[in-house]
Amino acid sequence: MNTTSLETFSLLAPEIVLVIAALVAYLGGAFMGLRAGWLVAAAGIAASMLVARGQAADPAFSAGVSIDAFSTFIRWTVLSLGILLCLVQAGDLFASAVSRGPGLHRGGTCEEAGTFLLLLAGLSLVGVAGDLVVLFAGLELVSIPTYILLALKRTDARGQEAGLKYFFLSLVASAIFLYALASLYGIAGSTDMAAIAASLSADGAGRIAQAMLPLAIGMAIVGAAFRLAAVPMHFYAPDVYEGTSPGNAALLSTLPKVAGIVVLARLVAMVTPAAGPDLLWQILVVLAAVTMTVGNVMALWQSNIRRLLACSSIAHAGYLMVGVAAASAGAVSGGTHLFAAGGMSATLFYLATYAIATIGLFGAIAYLGHRWPEWTATSGPRPPREEISSVDDLDGLSGTNPVAAFAITVFLLSLAGIPPLPGFWGKLALALSALGVDGTAAIDSGSRRAWFVGVAVVLVLNAAIAAAYYLRLIAAMYFKTTKRGVQADGGLAAGVAMLACLVLVATVSIRPRGLLAAASRAGESLTPVTAPSAGASQSPDTLASR
Amino acid sequence: MNGFSPHAHLLLTIAAPLVGAVVAWLLGSRGLSAVRQSAAVSTVVTLALAAWLIVRYLAEPSTAAGLPFALQEVPWLTEGIFDVRFSLGLDGLSLWMFGLAALLSLTAVLVSWDAVQDRPVGFYVLLLVLETAMLGVFAARDVILFYVFFEFTLVPLFFLIGIWGHEERRKAAVKFFIYTLAGSVLTFLGLLTIVLWHAAHANVVTFDIEALADGMMIHPLPMTADGGWLQMIVFLALLAGFAVKVPIVPLHTWLPLAHVEAPTGGSVDLAGVLLKLGIYGFLRFSMPMLPEATAMAAPWLFALGVAGIIYGALVALVQTDLKRLIAYSSVSHMGYIVMGLFALTPVATEGANLQLVNHGLSSAGLFALVGMIYERFHTRNIASLGGIAAKAPWLAVFFMLFTFSSIGLPGLNGFVGEFMILLGSFQRAWDGVSIAWQSAYLVMALLAVAGVVLGAWYMLWATERVMFGGSREPPRAGHGHADSHAASGHGHDHGHPTPGDRCDLRWHEVAALLPLAVFVFWIGLAPGTFLAPAAPAVRKATSSSATAFAARMHDTAPTVARIDSR
Repeated sequence: MNTTSLETFSLLAPEIVLVIAALVAYLGGAFMGLRAGWLVAAAGIAASMLVARGQAADPAFSAGVSIDAFSTFIRWTVLSLGILLCLVQAGDLFASAVSRGPGLHRGGTCEEAGTFLLLLAGLSLVGVAGDLVVLFAGLELVSIPTYILLALKRTDARGQEAGLKYFFLSLVASAIFLYALASLYGIAGSTDMAAIAASLSADGAGRIAQAMLPLAIGMAIVGAAFRLAAVPMHFYAPDVYEGTSPGNAALLSTLPKVAGIVVLARLVAMVTPAAGPDLLWQILVVLAAVTMTVGNVMALWQSNIRRLLACSSIAHAGYLMVGVAAASAGAVSGGTHLFAAGGMSATLFYLATYAIATIGLFGAIAYLGHRWPEWTATSGPRPPREEISSVDDLDGLSGTNPVAAFAITVFLLSLAGIPPLPGFWGKLALALSALGVDGTAAIDSGSRRAWFVGVAVVLVLNAAIAAAYYLRLIAAMYFKTTKRGVQADGGLAAGVAMLACLVLVATVSIRPRGLLAAASRAGESLTPVTAPSAGASQSPDTLASR
Repeated sequence: MNGFSPHAHLLLTIAAPLVGAVVAWLLGSRGLSAVRQSAAVSTVVTLALAAWLIVRYLAEPSTAAGLPFALQEVPWLTEGIFDVRFSLGLDGLSLWMFGLAALLSLTAVLVSWDAVQDRPVGFYVLLLVLETAMLGVFAARDVILFYVFFEFTLVPLFFLIGIWGHEERRKAAVKFFIYTLAGSVLTFLGLLTIVLWHAAHANVVTFDIEALADGMMIHPLPMTADGGWLQMIVFLALLAGFAVKVPIVPLHTWLPLAHVEAPTGGSVDLAGVLLKLGIYGFLRFSMPMLPEATAMAAPWLFALGVAGIIYGALVALVQTDLKRLIAYSSVSHMGYIVMGLFALTPVATEGANLQLVNHGLSSAGLFALVGMIYERFHTRNIASLGGIAAKAPWLAVFFMLFTFSSIGLPGLNGFVGEFMILLGSFQRAWDGVSIAWQSAYLVMALLAVAGVVLGAWYMLWATERVMFGGSREPPRAGHGHADSHAASGHGHDHGHPTPGDRCDLRWHEVAALLPLAVFVFWIGLAPGTFLAPAAPAVRKATSSSATAFAARMHDTAPTVARIDSR
């Protein structure tokens, strides 16, 4: 044991606390009741937060782990989302206990909570990884618990389909991503990200690099796209979301996206200054535009709520990629950009606003749980409760559960980007970052400016398309009436998650500054900025000559 | 006056409806009358505050010079590249629209008094939230704050139409929302482009509308092939949102549906205030910030305005539904405003700015009256209505007053605005355009005059059918046979009204209409009171566009020189 590894352990203390808490949950499962597991999980996350708070704020680096503003932002995002998801998942427990009926007392197990904690530890590890091996280990520590959670929650045919589909596709994506990492190692001769970046910018024009780098970039993007649920690895999302519980859907639509964004961000930081390729941002811009359009258009025709939200989460993956693309273009050649670092900050900010609204939405659905079918005393015995799954099941919710209807409406409007909700501030930041690329140049066809103005237009028009299906949900809740009551059997925890998200949404609406400042620091630490003033003073003549 | 500074006054005026909304919500358990009374009190208080603020504005000597009043600025999102401020203030452009929003909100509450029985708490809360948004959008002095209020007006109106509207309400609400949103997101990008351009060239990031307008005079967006016609692109982006809002033909298709399906209170706010946002946007953003593009587009928008006048009038002529007729008359009348605005002469633009208020008063009054007729007779079908003057003489008096105001009878407000717009347009056509354009402009101005005749034709025809002639439909509620009239549009010939079958205006309906009528006369008889405070601001907003237009028409084309001198 040398001092380096001791230092690494201390840097990773928050993750280690999560793993210890997971072990407590696993071992304690033999003695404790079902709910205790989630209490352990919440306590573990809280302890991890305390440890993370105690850590020095200075950037630190040791043996494949780098702590900077970016990884700190990711870690806190993961832990905060972890608390909220914990509540939603606990809500699942009650709801699914009802679904399974009195015969099967398997509403969930303590092990679920432990597995969930391992997932969080893995995701946090992805955030702090400064080395390809640690990054991959972290990603696998996200994937494997996800398989288990998907398989544990549901035992019906759809649940099995969801679990298997996710399992196989995730394996393929991981394998492809591993190839990308191997290629990067082959080019640079190191697994350390900083070393790779340095080596690439030193001899970016090397022959091997030229041949291998596009391949590596492409495969890395495929790997990230699976986690983001972005084109071309988006198609599993509707089936998997439909086949699993609301809590798992909340998890799937947020945590893997964090991992995907981290991978893309690290990739941009590693390869762009070097290869000078327009390739990376071009791929990202096209994928972003295609992803958001595909997601939104698919969502227009969905009648199942979870499928609809799956499509919506695909669309949001597209929005997220706009900022990464802008950051990537900004890193290629600094001077001409008005706000080069804005892109990554915008993406991180948007990620947080998206996650709050999405978890709140699934929390509300988990909380609502079941509804009674239409029934009169004369038509025989009362039929069992039905799980809320289709959009029609929300009919008249404003009458039967006004608080949940209001919360869902706020979350949907935020996702649609209606001001002054957080989603609006996020889209504002994304649009500004895209329009800021070559911000003073003419919009000539084929120029980089034209690409980014184009993707900004696609983004805002997609926001209008998305409003169509979000409004369909709102219209069902407010403009229709129903005779069927809602059970609201998802338990207190999911309701608390919903309300907590509502409070967060309100806070960010009124005071977006705090979150944006944190996201800005994180984004800037990752993609070093050429000072905005330099870009601003850049005369248009040099731009015209490009 | 020291104790109550103007900016606190302004903030209080905008916040008052919001407070009222909370009060109405808290009173929800006490039933309909408590809720609607509290809503009425809130709107009256807001109106009083707004009126007092306007009086203070007019008393302040600095405002006559065109300086903004009651400035208020609180940082909202000042981080990195953002410098969004919660900054409010009133100037000549926004003054009357601010007052109109406060006035029509009271009307909207009073016309809903008996009409809304279902879920009244939600209705009045949304109406009050909408009032805050409407007041805020005119007072906003920050681009993002403007956009926040601009978009946020959609949300309450979406629910108002969708929950309390008529048969097709769900479709109308969604169509209204999506249509307007799709346009305004492009406006959003256009505004951001202006901010970024200004930031790059002035080396300071600001979202302040006035600073941006001044900055764009120094560093105009390029209007040459070299610069990629950026100014025109931004103009078109802004146009997308504003043209849908106005609406300029052919982007008007959402309007008749939304109006016909909206509850009366929603129609009053929509026609009276929200349509004006498009024109206000042109005056606030497009004209001062993008003068050369405005000058280039002006003839085409002038023509679209005329097309709207004629098209709206012709479609209104063949309507069988009274509310739809008035909706199309709105399309026609907004055409005059567009035409006056893009005639770009001082008389025409000032007339257009006044006509915003005039149309707000007359269309809101007419929609309110149609709502009252519908409450009484359960139909809006012109063929089924008739003889209302005998049964409800005061209703008929108000209906005719607003009809005359709408068709521009001298002595009433509509005449002043329309006359100024037409006068200014003829000025422009006579000696303000190059020879090549002259005949086209003259034809268009003459067509607009023909539109006045058409407008008189359909409005008077409808008034005659509805107010006079034999009775075709007996009054509805409270007379025990309401059910037989549930379906409208079949020309019921049963029901024989007795002479005692009176159904005239009730107190709250009179209270809703009387303030509007006062202003109809006031503006008609003393237009100077209303024109003078707005004139400097309107002239300032349009002067650079007018100069650019004159330059284009006389082919001196200083545009290239201006780009190079940057």
